[in-house]
Amino acid sequence: MSTAPTTTSTGGTSEGSALARRPLLAYRTVDLVLTVAIGVVFGVVFVGWGQVYNLITPLQAAFPPAVGLLTGVFFLPALLAALIVRRPGAALLAEVIAAFLSIGLGGQWGFGAILSGLIQGAGVELAFALTAYRRFTLPVAILGSVLSGLFEWVFERFVYYAEWSWTFAFAHLGFFLVSSVLLCGVLGWALVKLLVGTGALSAFPAGQRMRTARA
Amino acid sequence: MSTPSAADGAATDADSGTVARAASATAPAATALTITDLTWVPSGRSRPTLDALSLQIPAGQRVLLVGRSGSGKSTLLRALAGLLDESTGELSGSMPLAGRPGERALLLQQPLHAIVGASVGRDTAFGPENARCSRPEIQERVSRALQEARVVGAEDPRTSADSIPWELSGGQQQRLALAGSLALEPGALLLDEPLSMLDGPTAQSVRSAILEAARGRTLVVADHRIEDWLPHMDRVIVLGDGARILADGTPAQVRAQGMLGGSAAADPGRADVSGAGNADAREAAAREAISGEPAAEEASAESTPAPLLRARDLTIRPRRREGVSARAHRALPPLLTGIDLDLTPGSLTAIIGPSGSGKTTLLRVLLGLDSPAAGSLEAPRGADLAFVPQEPEHSFLALTVREEVTASPWVPDATDVDALLRTAGLEDLADASPYTLSGGQKRRLAVISALAQRPRLLVLDEPTVGLDAESWAQQQALLDSARAEGAAVLVATHDPRLIARADAVLDLAAHRQDRALATGPGPNPGTSGETAARTLLRPIRRRPRALTDALNPLSLLLIAAAAVAGSFGIATWQTGLASLALVAVLAPLSIRTVRGTLLRLVPVGLAAAGLWWSTMLASELPAFTAGSALLGLKEALRIAYFVAPGVLAFTSLDPTALGDALGGRLRLPGRPVAASVAGLVRAGLTADVWSRVLEIRRLRGLDARFSWRHPLRSSVQLVRTLSSTTLAVLLDAIRSAEQQALAMDARGFQQAQRRTWALPSRFSVADATGAGVAFGLAAAPWVIRGLTG
Repeated sequence: MSTAPTTTSTGGTSEGSALARRPLLAYRTVDLVLTVAIGVVFGVVFVGWGQVYNLITPLQAAFPPAVGLLTGVFFLPALLAALIVRRPGAALLAEVIAAFLSIGLGGQWGFGAILSGLIQGAGVELAFALTAYRRFTLPVAILGSVLSGLFEWVFERFVYYAEWSWTFAFAHLGFFLVSSVLLCGVLGWALVKLLVGTGALSAFPAGQRMRTARA
Repeated sequence: MSTPSAADGAATDADSGTVARAASATAPAATALTITDLTWVPSGRSRPTLDALSLQIPAGQRVLLVGRSGSGKSTLLRALAGLLDESTGELSGSMPLAGRPGERALLLQQPLHAIVGASVGRDTAFGPENARCSRPEIQERVSRALQEARVVGAEDPRTSADSIPWELSGGQQQRLALAGSLALEPGALLLDEPLSMLDGPTAQSVRSAILEAARGRTLVVADHRIEDWLPHMDRVIVLGDGARILADGTPAQVRAQGMLGGSAAADPGRADVSGAGNADAREAAAREAISGEPAAEEASAESTPAPLLRARDLTIRPRRREGVSARAHRALPPLLTGIDLDLTPGSLTAIIGPSGSGKTTLLRVLLGLDSPAAGSLEAPRGADLAFVPQEPEHSFLALTVREEVTASPWVPDATDVDALLRTAGLEDLADASPYTLSGGQKRRLAVISALAQRPRLLVLDEPTVGLDAESWAQQQALLDSARAEGAAVLVATHDPRLIARADAVLDLAAHRQDRALATGPGPNPGTSGETAARTLLRPIRRRPRALTDALNPLSLLLIAAAAVAGSFGIATWQTGLASLALVAVLAPLSIRTVRGTLLRLVPVGLAAAGLWWSTMLASELPAFTAGSALLGLKEALRIAYFVAPGVLAFTSLDPTALGDALGGRLRLPGRPVAASVAGLVRAGLTADVWSRVLEIRRLRGLDARFSWRHPLRSSVQLVRTLSSTTLAVLLDAIRSAEQQALAMDARGFQQAQRRTWALPSRFSVADATGAGVAFGLAAAPWVIRGLTG
């Protein structure tokens, strides 16, 4: 694909297309529908990826904090919604929808999943809010993922793993942060670039910059 | 009658107009459509899709739009509907002003995109809810629309407002989409190829429902297959590139100009069979030749070589739905019986039958994805079998066209990729992303990627839907080359021209065990009163019932949250055990089926066991001692108490009822709530796409399973397959989202910031009990802790 630096192809400030210039909270129907759809897709995908989770079970049994290894994947709906739809609240909504659906599909954390969804969505949301929803670059994506990981770690530390010693808890945090950066920040960013490359996002700001840049 | 709280919003003029008209219960006035000098350039394109177009359609006129794919018919219909999104392109000139919600109805090709409700009734109510109608008026409009569109009525005595939209046939789904539009009492119907997914007889019946509904309204239809529309039309407009008007007049005038049937510009899709019904005649001839019998029998006569696929007396059951036990599924009556099929090398066989007759279900069995209920089947498997799905994108897994051709591990190393690309006319696109190709190119890429593995049997699902003449011919050439190399080709199709080319035709209508249509003991279609009763809006009910189904969704959420609050009171394993006993006592209230409840509790048990183990290892206490084991036990019991009540309560949580509660009762913003409900209701479709895409990958030799024999290789393969599946499902979701949003906006969703909700979200005696349970769950651990000191 393009060899242009990442900031010019899908990032940068919001000058340019009419799409990017509309008021921040002006959700078109397609923005809402896609935000929800991203949540639904990942609700389904999480179940499908369950097999991969099984792969690390032995590791986890030997060293419990390794449970954090794959956690980044769970913040993907929030990051994808934020990067594609670029509206305040998209990350939160997509993540909560994914959490809600995962309960219906037999997830193990029940109501806890919804709380996690709110917390993880808030992490990504905060990072983009700090840029006033103007920058959608890789560093901001990574920051959002890290914040999600951090918030979720605090939640799990006191709700799920309350009796772990701090040594183990910090090891857990280490896994969380690495996983957040790689499996959410970098992977999510790459996924959006891939989607932009297919031309399917032409109705969204993320896709329009790319198209105008090429034309 | 007036809409509640409608007085304070914007656009009340339009609303009150609607209400007044509905109250008088007369048909609305037809709407005139005027476009002046309209130019539309989508962002990132240099050429306009609509080029300075001016068009006047007087009220009540019936217009047929004709033109090649890409000539701008769809864009023009969107412009006429006032639904061009000005943030995704440059617009100049004028299009019709936005009227009241749904004044100009827009129906799309794929009715599935338009479905947003969990039941037929709630789906039809979506538009009136957006228009802020009152509950009695929503009911009245839904009843009228469902009967007017003939969703409910004598034709299908089984469908009611309670029916599940996904379980309807394609024709019924398109009628449901029509009903959803009619509920907003449109003055104009704009239809974008509304029949292209339907077979002949079904299309005929939907067409007549459309024509009847169009009485007294303006009608604009875009379609490739024009002959059956022409007798009903006042005017035909032929569009060229950029939606330039090439011809405009009565059907007779336009035909006299030589612009219909025969002209490439007018209808290239049928250029080779110009003249009325020629293709149908050929189809009839083909069918007559084999006289409705499984034609393959003739093909397998003595002189021919041994068949590659041989099926005898197959019985096929409908696909098993989620939530249906294996035993209940076995008890279902068969869908198809007595299927015999022989596929010989080099032959082309077509499976035909009305929409919903079981073509896809039979294909699944022949592909080895499902097993037949009875009969014998020998068929090529593995590398010898290749499948091309209806949506070519579902099979794509590489980043470039060239890589896509060789993506299957079954493709021989010596394959001449360039030669294959040339046969498909894709040699200049070898390095492009498969997803950026045109529709026809995508189809051809999927076919050559299947041919690259040199299959003995090539199976294609609806390989020609939506192709224009050129693409159609190229597609046929590819199939012919496969046959020339000795592969048997099997297609499921309703394309008459493809059927006409088949050596043998298997018509499923002859094998169908018809329950509904023939002699089914359905309810008596009977009086109009009974029909009206079947249009009553009711809450979504699941069977079997659980007692917790009686609770308001907000009570269910309260119970789940209460347990979370209570769980923090558990500080010893004894408190945990006593508290969990309370949950065990309450659990039966949520039982729908014992098996289902147990299945839901298994993950909770596993999570608790995991936490027990990890706490034992990771706590401050030395691992594997009695102390750490009991600490772990306390944690396991605590987390079980934290999770289990919520998991059990949520089995009764219905997205539609939750939407009514959040939007109607708590008055959260209407658009996000309604969009979320629509998305959750449609989640089953996403799950279907996921499993379909995964199956297609398995048929290409890419297994998504971990194997102990090759742990590393299979893990890498697993992650790669799941990644490409995830990407394909995301893409599908994005493409559907655009269509779904368009269908929703056509039903007034854009202005629905404040909307009404068709059913009330009530609190009852059950909810008082629920609140008591919630209080008990929140308090119990703390009380037990206090009592035991």
